Amino acid sequence: MKVLVYSSFTFSYLNRARVLYQTLRRFHPDWETVALITDEPPPGFTFDPASEPIDRVVWAKDLGIEPFRGWLFRHDVVEVCTAVKGPFLHQVCEAGEADIAIYLDPDTALFAPLDPLVEMLGEADILLTPHLIDPNDDRAAILDNDLSASRTGIFNLGFVAIRTTGEGARFARWWNDRLLAFCYDDIPSGLFVDQKWCDHVPALFDRVKVIRDPGYNVASWNLSTRKVAIDKAGEIRVNGATLRFWHFTKLGPTGDVMTKRYAGDNFEVYEIWRWYKEAVAAATDPAIPERWWAYGQFDDGAPIAKPQRVLYRERADLQAAFPDPFAGGYQAWWKAEGPGRRG
Amino acid sequence: MGQGDAPERTGRTLAAAFDPVFYRTVYDDIALTGADPFGHYVQTGWREGRDPAPWFSVRAYLDRYPEALGLDPFAHYLQGGWRRGFEPSPSVHRDGFLERVGGRPRPGISEGAASPRRPDSDLPAGVGRAQARELAAAAFDPAFYLSMNPDVAAEGLDPLDHYLQTGWREGRDPSPEFSAADYLEVNSDGAVTGVNPFLHWLAAGRTEGRPLRFELGFRGRIVAGLTPLADRMEAASRSALAIQSRPARELAPLLAEGRRRDLHLTFSHDDAFQSMGGLQLCIQTESAELARRGIDHLHVFPPVPWPTLRPEGHHAPIGVVWNGRTLGQFSVLDVSAALSARRGRGRLTFAIHSLLGHEAGETLDLLSAAGARRGLFWVHDFTGLCAGYHLMRDEAQDCGAPSAGSAACRICLFGPGRDLHLSAHRRLFEALDLTLVAPSQAALDTWSAAPDAPVPAAMWVHPHARLVPTGRFAEAGEGPLTVAFLGMPSAYKGWPVFTDLAHQLRDDPRYRFVRLGSAAAPGSPADHIDVSVTADNPHAMRLALETAGVDVAVLWSLCRETFSFAAYEAAAAGAAILTGPDSGNVAAFTRAGGHGLVLPDEAALFAQFESGAVRHLSRASRRPELCDIAYSGMSVDLLEALS
Repeated sequence: MKVLVYSSFTFSYLNRARVLYQTLRRFHPDWETVALITDEPPPGFTFDPASEPIDRVVWAKDLGIEPFRGWLFRHDVVEVCTAVKGPFLHQVCEAGEADIAIYLDPDTALFAPLDPLVEMLGEADILLTPHLIDPNDDRAAILDNDLSASRTGIFNLGFVAIRTTGEGARFARWWNDRLLAFCYDDIPSGLFVDQKWCDHVPALFDRVKVIRDPGYNVASWNLSTRKVAIDKAGEIRVNGATLRFWHFTKLGPTGDVMTKRYAGDNFEVYEIWRWYKEAVAAATDPAIPERWWAYGQFDDGAPIAKPQRVLYRERADLQAAFPDPFAGGYQAWWKAEGPGRRG
Repeated sequence: MGQGDAPERTGRTLAAAFDPVFYRTVYDDIALTGADPFGHYVQTGWREGRDPAPWFSVRAYLDRYPEALGLDPFAHYLQGGWRRGFEPSPSVHRDGFLERVGGRPRPGISEGAASPRRPDSDLPAGVGRAQARELAAAAFDPAFYLSMNPDVAAEGLDPLDHYLQTGWREGRDPSPEFSAADYLEVNSDGAVTGVNPFLHWLAAGRTEGRPLRFELGFRGRIVAGLTPLADRMEAASRSALAIQSRPARELAPLLAEGRRRDLHLTFSHDDAFQSMGGLQLCIQTESAELARRGIDHLHVFPPVPWPTLRPEGHHAPIGVVWNGRTLGQFSVLDVSAALSARRGRGRLTFAIHSLLGHEAGETLDLLSAAGARRGLFWVHDFTGLCAGYHLMRDEAQDCGAPSAGSAACRICLFGPGRDLHLSAHRRLFEALDLTLVAPSQAALDTWSAAPDAPVPAAMWVHPHARLVPTGRFAEAGEGPLTVAFLGMPSAYKGWPVFTDLAHQLRDDPRYRFVRLGSAAAPGSPADHIDVSVTADNPHAMRLALETAGVDVAVLWSLCRETFSFAAYEAAAAGAAILTGPDSGNVAAFTRAGGHGLVLPDEAALFAQFESGAVRHLSRASRRPELCDIAYSGMSVDLLEALS
C-alpha cells in the first residue's frame, strides 16, 4: 500500500512545513512526502530539497496549468496555495503514483501514527474532518466557531485523504476542475477557497467518511468541545481519544487569544503550543524574509494589491490583453485607466 | 505580561488604537469572511492600503512620511511618529463610516477625529476628565508605577499624570493587579479600543463583569513562562566559560596527608557546604559521619549551576571541597592526577548524589584515576532518568517517566535533554559497578518502573531518617485550625495550590494559614514563621511546627518526592499531612504511617476545607504522639555492605 502525503505552501511557511514533515518522517518513514510549492526561493536563500525532510518537491508552475502566470495572478497567496491542491491530487490519481493520497496543511503536526486512516480507507474512498464534531451551546463559541464554519465550510480542508481510485479519483477530478476556476475567498458568492466546495462532497460522492474522532484536526476552532489530557504512559488524549494531529492555525497573537479563550485552564493545550512554537523557531531560516512570496509583487517589485488581482480575474479582456500581468503592461494600465488611477 | 516583552507590548498598543468596528464596517470582505479585523490588518491589511481607524489614512501617511515605506504606517505613528510631530490624516472612509453608524461614532474614536490625541479621546463613554482622574487615583499604585518606570521617576513627573497622559498609550501598567495587555487580550471585542483600558475597567468593565485576564490556572502560567532548555544550557555554558582553573599546587591538601587514610569521593550539583537544602543536608551529614570515622572526604561539583548534565565533550573546571573546606575550581586533569597519586594509600569509596553539571566522560576519568569502580548512586531526584529531574513535564505536572519516545516526552521542554541524561547515565552504569540507593521504596519503585531506566548492579532502600516516638503527646490547641506550608515557596512543592487555598479562605474564622521557612514569601496570604534548618540545627522545623501548634501541613508536592524531610518533620511535630496522589514518598509515608490523608486531586483538597471535614485532623481530635527524628549516616552506613 503506497501512501503519499503532500502539503501546499510558500517559502514563508517552510518552517511550519519542516515541522510537519519531521513528524511525518518520525511516524511514517515509508510514506512518500511531497512539498507542493507555489513560490520561488528568496534571494540569499538556497533551497536544497535533499537536505529537507521531504522526498519530492513539486513546483506549482510545473503542474501544467496554462497560462500559469495569468491564472496565478487571479489569486492571492491563500487562494493559490489552496487552488493547487486539487490539480496535484488529480494528477496523482491519474498517474497512479500511490494507492492513498493525504493532504495536510503545512501548519499541522502529527503526535501519533496515522495508520487508522489507512484502515478507514479500506471501507471509504474519501475522508474528511469537520470543523466541529460536537455542537457548541455557549453564544460566544457559536459566534466564533459554528457560524464561522457555516460561512467558510463544514469540513476543514487542512486535511483530506483519498483512495486514488474509484470515488476518490472522481472527487479529485471534480475538485481539480472547480479549483482551477473557482478557488477564491469570496464568501458572498458562496466561495471560500478550496474548502467551501467540499460541503458538497457527501452529496456528490459515495464512500465518504466523516471522521468524528476528536483526535484528528484539533484546532482553536474546536477546542471549546475538546479537552486535552496527557496520561502517565505519555500518551496525549483528546476527549479520551489518541491525539493524531493538531492544526496550529494562526501562529501568533491572534491564535493565542483564540486558544486561551477556549482552552482556559486546560494547560496541556499550552504545552502542545509551546512545543510547536519552539519547533517552528528552530526550523526557521533567517534568510527567508517574513511573509516572503515571490508572486506577491509585480516584476518591478511593486506590491500587488488585492483589488488588482480581483479586477484581473473578473475581466476576460484584461486577461487577453495582459497574459502575463506581472510584467509591466497591466500595472501601467491600472495606473492609467484602472480604478486605482489618481485624480 | 512582562515589562520587558517589548514586541508583544507594541502589538498590544497597536491593538488598543486599532478600531475593529470601523475596519469591519468599511471593508465588507472582513465582515463577510468573519476574519479577525486586527489580525487581518496586521498581516495583510496595511500592505493593501487599508486604514486601521477613521482618523488614520495609511496612504496619506506614507505619502507624507516616506521613511515609513515598507513599515506598517500605523505602528510607525504610534511607536514614535506622534512624538516627532507627525500628523495623520483621516481615512477616506471616515465620512462613509460615520454615516453608516448613524453619525454617532463610538465615544473616543471617530467623532471628527484627526488625531488620537484630541481631548477626551481616551475616556470611557460618559466619563469626564476630572471623574476619570478620581477613578484612577483610587486604584493607581504610584510606588509600583515609579519602580517599574525609572524614566518617569528620574524626570520627577507625577506618576498618575504621566500614566493618564502618555503612559497608558506606551503600554505601561498602573498597578501590579492590572495588566493592560492582559485586559486588552481578553476583551478583544472592540469595546476597549482606543480607550485607556484601566479607565475602561474602572468605569465600565468591572460592573459589566468583564474579566481582567484569561484564567489559565497556575500550570498554564508556568507553561507560558518557560525558557527553552537549549537557552538554559547556553546560559550555563556561557557562565562556565568565565571559570578559570586554579593552579594544581593548590590541590596539595589532597596529597599532603602523608598518612594512609581512606578517602570517600562524592559528586553533586553544587558546593553542598555553601548552600542549604535537603540534598545539601544529606551530604553535610555524610561528611560529618566520615570525619567521625577518620575518613577523608573529597566533594566535587560544577562551579556554575547547570540545568542538565554537561553534554558529552563539553569540558569545564570542577569545584573541589576537601573535608568541608572549599578549595576552588580545578581542571579535571589536575584532580585526576591528585587522585591517582593517592592510589594505594587507603581504600577509596564514592557516592554519586547528582550528576547535574557533570560530564559523564569526566566522571569516569576521575573515578578511573582514583582506581574506583564500585560505588553508590543515590536517587535524591530523577536526574538519572531525565533532564527534568523532578519528573515534572513542562514543570507543570508529574509525568510518571514514560518512555522517552512517548508523545509527552516529545512535546516536553525537557524532551531534548532526556536522551542526554539517559545515555550518560547508561554509560556510567555500564562502566561502573553501581548500587542504586533510594531513600524510599516509592523512589525505588519509580526508577524500576521507568521503561528506559539504566540498570544498576543492585538496589537498596536506605531512608535518610526515621521517627523515634517520645511518649509525649501533642497539646490540644484552641482557636482556628492552624494550616501550614513548609519550606521553599516553589510551584513544584505546591505553593500555588496552598496560596489559592489560603486566599480563598482568608476570612474564614475556622482556619489560620502559616508558612514556615527561611524568608518571607512576597505576596503570601499566610503568616510567616521564620525557620532555618541547618546541619547544626537540623530539628529547627520540627520544633517550630510544635511551637506554632500546627494542626495540618499541606504538603501538596506536585512532583514525586524521593524522601521529604518536611513530611517527617510534620509527623514528628504532631501535624497531620494533607497530600496529593503525585507526591511520591509524601503520599507513601502518609499512607503507611496513618499520618494524614492522601487526596485524589486539588478539588478534594478544597472540599475538605470548604466542608470543614479537615477539622477532624486537629491536634485536639487526634492527640498525636510527638516524635524525635533520627538521621541516618547516609552513604557511610552502607560502606561496609558495599565492600
